[in-house]
Amino acid sequence: MTDERDGEKSTSDLGSWLNLMGAPASITGLMPSEITGLDVAPLMSMLGGVGIKSGVRGADTGETSTDEIRWLPIID
Amino acid sequence: MSSNLRITCGTEPKRGSVDSPEVVAQLFESLISPFGFFTPTSGLLGELNLSRGVYSLLSVSEHLEFESVRHLSQALSDLDSISIALLHMDSEEFAIWCGLGKSGARTHLLRLISEIQQARIRVKGAELQVNFAHSQPSAKFLFRSLTQLALVGVAFDLPQLQRAWIDSTGTSLSKKWISQFESIRVFKGRGDLVEGDPLTFAFHVRWKGVGKSDPAIGIVRNHLVIDVGGVRSFVELPAACSRMEAGSVHLSKNKFEVDFSVKESEWPRS
Repeated sequence: MTDERDGEKSTSDLGSWLNLMGAPASITGLMPSEITGLDVAPLMSMLGGVGIKSGVRGADTGETSTDEIRWLPIID
Repeated sequence: MSSNLRITCGTEPKRGSVDSPEVVAQLFESLISPFGFFTPTSGLLGELNLSRGVYSLLSVSEHLEFESVRHLSQALSDLDSISIALLHMDSEEFAIWCGLGKSGARTHLLRLISEIQQARIRVKGAELQVNFAHSQPSAKFLFRSLTQLALVGVAFDLPQLQRAWIDSTGTSLSKKWISQFESIRVFKGRGDLVEGDPLTFAFHVRWKGVGKSDPAIGIVRNHLVIDVGGVRSFVELPAACSRMEAGSVHLSKNKFEVDFSVKESEWPRS
């Protein structure tokens, strides 16, 4: 698990990430360096992008993230 | 229901062995070019990472390998989190995500939603094999992992697990632990809203052993979140709850109840 996470951290550009995921070098070689050099970290968490600030508005605090979890108190 | 998918838990996944799902690649392609309009948040999806197993679940491979039962459970939990968020984005979010109609992202996004649903069906019908050749968890840790797996709706085969345990250790699982493993039940993901008095309701969710699993219970959008050690399952709340205030959770051995009270200011008067 440690190795896997370390590996994820090391692939911060799009080209490396695509190689890691099995994309052939013949494909990534054709891509311009401006594209392969893009920081992939925001892309990797892209699916978190739906929680943009435009959604639900809280009564007191103004805008809140729409994917925010509100944890409830538990009574055993 | 069965599918042609075989999942092995307990083996080291081969790096790069899973081909990139086409729909994900297309979605990236659509989103890379224009503006970078996505803004990751620290909420429901903040900790997710496609390469942490979600990617594998979306692939069309007939045999998937996960490092452990825990990793499979986490990947399914992450997949469900993505699904909840995608299915419940409002029109403004949808428009922003899709580049205000200027890219093909809308089509790819809809395909991704569909493929997530198909992946869920495949996994539920998959043949699950547990393997302890690489690492041998303690029975206690395994019980926790299998509880998490049950929380995300996947059953395991106890005889196969017992055989794998003997193959690995040369000893049988104790009767105590066999009994504990037998007691695990797959979470059905449903609940019932019950009226207490005209202004208070309770949402009842039954799941055998939930009281011992040390869950955290929360609410995101119109879903209840049940979190056991970072693995989450979601239960859709009745529409009536959208205008009620959630209170405390009463946890007992095999069920929990969430208090809801009516926000009078938001209810029409007759």
